[in-house]
Amino acid sequence: MDGPALTVVLFAGLADCLGRREVQIDWSGGTAGELRQQLCKLHPDAALLFGRSAIAVGEGYCRDEEPVPPGADVAVIPPVSGG
Amino acid sequence: MAEAAQSHDCNAQPDGLPEAKNRQSSGCLQLIDGPIDVERLRQHVMAESAGAVVVFVGTTRRKTDDVITLRLEYEAHRPLAIACLRRLQVEAVERFGLEGCGIAHRLGVVEVGEESIAVAVASQHRAAAFAATAWLMDRIKACVPIWKREHTTDGRAFWVHGEERPGP
Repeated sequence: MDGPALTVVLFAGLADCLGRREVQIDWSGGTAGELRQQLCKLHPDAALLFGRSAIAVGEGYCRDEEPVPPGADVAVIPPVSGG
Repeated sequence: MAEAAQSHDCNAQPDGLPEAKNRQSSGCLQLIDGPIDVERLRQHVMAESAGAVVVFVGTTRRKTDDVITLRLEYEAHRPLAIACLRRLQVEAVERFGLEGCGIAHRLGVVEVGEESIAVAVASQHRAAAFAATAWLMDRIKACVPIWKREHTTDGRAFWVHGEERPGP
């Protein structure tokens, strides 16, 4: 069953790979780990990088078992290279 | 020195870092789309109680293994990056007993030889300042959502992503 649309913001290599800064997925709630799995399934070309990425909600990282509510402010954080 | 858009400015009131229990220290966090004012960062962390100030500056290196760098380009999830830097700043002050702690990271293009990051730390004695600087750099490189794109002299451009999933 379709859920409300969730906008997921992308950065760096993920944005390049998918050619855009955000993707939309149907999301009626679940864990960060489930969200990552769904993103991998929807975008198999980027699955390797999604698999190594963290999920951030608002201004904090989300552990895999933590919930991502519908309509949350979500970004996918691939392995970082600052500093 | 003219400064472009910043996410956070040393001119703002020092954080006060209320989470650091009863420890007052001077602090500064900066994401800046332009050259870092390293001297200003150093002055911002100075305190009369400090006997040591360590300033670390990271610059764009010309060569990494066989790759010759033309320039680096940085982007960030700015709100999350500031939040992560703030948490690291608070933890560094508490863990090492610092008198001051400032971090500035440049975003956008950073040419070879230019500064991409500066960390300034003040403490009563030098051992804490050296240790805190090294700790902060290790943590920044592991968890702050900033990425670099390498532009090489042979015409390639690629984002640098390691194997490790980032986290707090």
